[in-house]
Amino acid sequence: MKMFSVAHKTVFVVDHCPYMAESSRQQVECDVLTKSRAQGVIPLAPVSKSLWTCAVECSMEYCRILFDVYPKDKLVNYIVSDSEFHILNTWRREDQSTHELMSALAAVGPPNPREDPECCSILHGLVAAVEALCKITELQHEKRTALMDTAERVANRGRIICLTNAKSDTHVRMLEDCIQETISEQNKLAAGSDRLMAIQQCDLVLVHIYPQGEETLVSDRPKKEISPLLTSEVHSVRAGRHLASKLNILVQQHFDLASTTITNIPMKPTLNVCEQEEQHANTSANYDVELLHHRDAHIEFFKSGDLHMAGTSTRENGVKETMTLKWCTPRTNSIELHYCTGAYRISPTDVNSRPSSCLTNFLLNGRSVLLEQPRKSGSKVISHMLSSHGGEIFLHVLNSNRSTLEDPPSISEGCGGRVTDYRITDFGEFMRDNRLTPVAEASHDPSGKLPVERAKAQLERYTRYWPMIISQTTIFNMQAVVPLANLIVKEALTEEDLLTCQKTIYNLVDMERKNDPLPISTVGSRGKGPKRDEQYRIMWNELETLVKTHAGATDRHQRVLECIIACRSKPPEEEERKKRGRKREEREDRTEKNGSKEAEDKSWQESERLKGLLEKEDQESEVIKDSPDSPEPLNKKPRLISEDVQPPERAKGPATLLSMWTNRITVANSRKHQEFFGRASSVNSKFELYQHLKEENGMDAHENGKATR
Amino acid sequence: MPTVVLMDVSLSMTRPVSLDGIEEFQRKNLAVHGLNMLFEHMASNYRLEFTALMAFSSLWELLVPFTRDYNALQEALSNLEDYDKTCLELALQGVSSVVQQEWGNGCPCQVVLVTDGSLGIGKGSLRHSLQTLKHRGDDKKFPLPYPFPTKMFILCVANAEELQMTDAMENLEELLRLSGGDGQIFTVDGPLCMKSVQAMFGMLIDRAYSPFHAVLHCGNLSSDVQVFPRPEPVVVDEEVEPIPRAVSTEVDEVGTGTTDELEEEPSASQMAGKSPNFCVLLHGSLKVEGMVALVQLGPEWFGMLYSQADSKKKSNLMMSLFEPGSDPLPWLGKISHLGPVSEAAENPYGEDDSKSPFPLQPQVKRSYAQNVTVWIKASGLQTDVQKILRNARKLPDKTQTFYKELNRLRKAALAFGFWELLKGVAELLERECTMLPDSAHPDAAFQLSHAAHQLKLASSGDSQYAAFDHNIVPMHTDFSS
Repeated sequence: MKMFSVAHKTVFVVDHCPYMAESSRQQVECDVLTKSRAQGVIPLAPVSKSLWTCAVECSMEYCRILFDVYPKDKLVNYIVSDSEFHILNTWRREDQSTHELMSALAAVGPPNPREDPECCSILHGLVAAVEALCKITELQHEKRTALMDTAERVANRGRIICLTNAKSDTHVRMLEDCIQETISEQNKLAAGSDRLMAIQQCDLVLVHIYPQGEETLVSDRPKKEISPLLTSEVHSVRAGRHLASKLNILVQQHFDLASTTITNIPMKPTLNVCEQEEQHANTSANYDVELLHHRDAHIEFFKSGDLHMAGTSTRENGVKETMTLKWCTPRTNSIELHYCTGAYRISPTDVNSRPSSCLTNFLLNGRSVLLEQPRKSGSKVISHMLSSHGGEIFLHVLNSNRSTLEDPPSISEGCGGRVTDYRITDFGEFMRDNRLTPVAEASHDPSGKLPVERAKAQLERYTRYWPMIISQTTIFNMQAVVPLANLIVKEALTEEDLLTCQKTIYNLVDMERKNDPLPISTVGSRGKGPKRDEQYRIMWNELETLVKTHAGATDRHQRVLECIIACRSKPPEEEERKKRGRKREEREDRTEKNGSKEAEDKSWQESERLKGLLEKEDQESEVIKDSPDSPEPLNKKPRLISEDVQPPERAKGPATLLSMWTNRITVANSRKHQEFFGRASSVNSKFELYQHLKEENGMDAHENGKATR
Repeated sequence: MPTVVLMDVSLSMTRPVSLDGIEEFQRKNLAVHGLNMLFEHMASNYRLEFTALMAFSSLWELLVPFTRDYNALQEALSNLEDYDKTCLELALQGVSSVVQQEWGNGCPCQVVLVTDGSLGIGKGSLRHSLQTLKHRGDDKKFPLPYPFPTKMFILCVANAEELQMTDAMENLEELLRLSGGDGQIFTVDGPLCMKSVQAMFGMLIDRAYSPFHAVLHCGNLSSDVQVFPRPEPVVVDEEVEPIPRAVSTEVDEVGTGTTDELEEEPSASQMAGKSPNFCVLLHGSLKVEGMVALVQLGPEWFGMLYSQADSKKKSNLMMSLFEPGSDPLPWLGKISHLGPVSEAAENPYGEDDSKSPFPLQPQVKRSYAQNVTVWIKASGLQTDVQKILRNARKLPDKTQTFYKELNRLRKAALAFGFWELLKGVAELLERECTMLPDSAHPDAAFQLSHAAHQLKLASSGDSQYAAFDHNIVPMHTDFSS
């Protein structure tokens, strides 16, 4: 259905003239006496509805079904006509509910039988209806303003449903002519107005209502064209249930609806489908419930021409068909959902009947019902499912044929499928942090961004540095980094957040001082992986990378980065101490590997010299003493002459893969700190350090021991 | 979208074609060559497509049912035999039943008709079929248009000039139009030879069998993906501007939230199996967490990604497309108004994931979710009256329910202008009052006559008592003293 088809605007014009107060002569016995009380009681005389009551309740039923299936943008304007017209609501969306209309109808009340019939006419209402059709709806307005260049393509069509008691066929023709004339007049008026639109198509559906037991004075007439702008059809119907079923058929025709009857609904209390009614507690009869919904839910049957073959029945003189589907005892196997090809809102035909309300309550409570299509062959095919979402019940269409999606390749056969250390859990957490929630339309963000844009911006921030596999990251494998990592991605940091980040960094510094092990991946490197201080370098680099991507956001983000830079560029002596520690490890390593004494000694000598420097400055010696990881006393080692001193890179035997890796990292890291004076001014990578110590060689061992233990 | 290849094996396909004056080929050989090329392309770039091979002359035969085994299809091509005259209508009928048997009538299908453009003579010829189109009974309808959405590609091993000498081209165009118009007729450009036939099939491949490559973005994380089946553009007739909507190749993941159909296969290449891919990560986490990811495919067009496992152990990332529009799933609300949970004062999913902000409830409840009053059937009215009487006999215990039901009836009767009912029920209440047993609580009589009086007032239409929003309240009585 097109957005602005005639179904967009429906005007009800209901006759409120004195003759509508006449009885429909259909009597309702509302005093149903139970046997035990029947004695001596005179039952109340049956009541009968007036033509007006019949017209109103059937039109309300039409609206109820319409609003259930199309809660938006299929609009109703309700007009009542007597000596003048009464417009009961507007096209506005908030006016579109049966409650609003019932309230307005109550204010109008039934027709006054004593009013002068000469003054009263349905024409007042019909003229008002044409005027109403010219009035622009919110949707028309939105579309016209949204697309200025295509504004003229917003169509204005509508339907007038007139419920009246006409006098004759001639009277009907007079009404049609009058509508045609009014359309021409109103279209001229509309041409010069912003809030009005000319009518491009108007369908008049005139329903002549007459009391039971009378002959009709008006003949039925199928839809015919009165003019290029106006079509008209006439339905002559007896008041009461005939009128009700006529309007039920009309609402289906007007809004592309179809009917499904759910059959075999078990009402056993054990199945909890219906348990409230005491009188049925012991029965286990199966019930049928008829639902209306968009006819696309039956598209499979329509197309295959199966409609008659597959459990359909024709009622009411062949006008109305319903598709019968069989209830299947509820299952909670969600696999069927994957083949759902559509979901359509429903409205029960008989909304407050007990079987209907039992079924709808069952569904509204969150249960689902699979529906089976009866086939001639006796094979069972599940073709539909009933289920509710947010207080609305939908008929879901399930694909009962073979699916082209069957047997898809496994994701592990594709790109990246053989990588095994994805951060699945971390990304799960990431997804939970980035979940969406409805934001009230009214809440306005100062940035002017829509909520979904803010969600995307958050995704962008959260993914600035997000390694996908465990072996690609150190910091995200460390519990100690979590507080900072969680905060730094925020758009803005509070002073408290900043403190937390700084604390995290200090904590890392402390870990480094204590030489705590880091969860560095050894994947891809043979042997033990990088040395501990190299590990810390890697960790600091990674942390810096993460924080750098956010540093530009706010001043506090920047301060987190500054804190990292300040903390990792340690005072030289600490750097030295670390280096010395590394030397020791390296030496041990080398001893294991090639036992090159020469290299070992050279390295030892290097440390000796560095220690000398340390001694001189005499800073942080406490810390060093306290550290359990401080180097062992080295004085048991023989000393070598200082001429052999070489930069550590060269102080090796044949290069191992490990040493090459270590060198690379060292070189990379050395760029980030100030080079030693000695190394910087070396000749052929050689520089004679502390030449004055040569004379004091005798002191060395002693000094060394003192410094380390 | 499954493909049916409908291959013409009538005698006219055996007409010789001189190639460079050296070697002689039949048109059939050229067609087979072209189809082999198509199958090879599909085997490497479009391997999830299901393809069936049918041969036809005056009869038709399903040589290979729908399969992804392109070797089987090529094998069957190499064993084609030659038959008699062309009778397209029967073959098209055959396509219809083969497709519907396998896929039903909701699944879009591509039909690749390979012929030489000589479409038979006399009864059973395409010309005859089209001429008699309007003079047929319901039982002998022309098979087109098919009940399922169809793309019809007609490949003629003939050049356009040749086809225009007869009415063949006209008839084929009419055939294409009848199929729904979505498709194309391909002819050989220039003289018939291997190369020109290859070029023709190349055009078909570009038009219908090019893989759909896209990039899936999630913030700064991204992954190249291939989507299969190809998402076809949708034309939304909004009347204002029928906008053909094509899925943008830049797919944006919007976020994750808490059902329609399309499959996504992350690039099938095996080469890069060892470098990490975002799709695999996303799939793994969606699967473990049981979540779906919302994905934006274009302006106001969304879909969702989730892990789907078939019955075996294999699972893959699936993408389902929603109907284009700003609120495709009413219970999620407008997609543009979904924001990050971090903005909410309190996590709407609960600290322990026990809650969800979805589904959204509609502003106005549907009729079946409210206690509406419908008296179209007499039983509806009788039930409502009996409910009031049942409660009336249990006064004062059921005072609240009694007045609730009474007011519900009163409102409906006022709206429907059914004052006679109000009077009738008032009489019933008065009668109940007179029939109260001696043991009855004195309050029952007071409430019944009060309610009856109020109903009578309402039935007078007096605006003071007949206001719709007015409710009859229980009479204040005090029997404690």
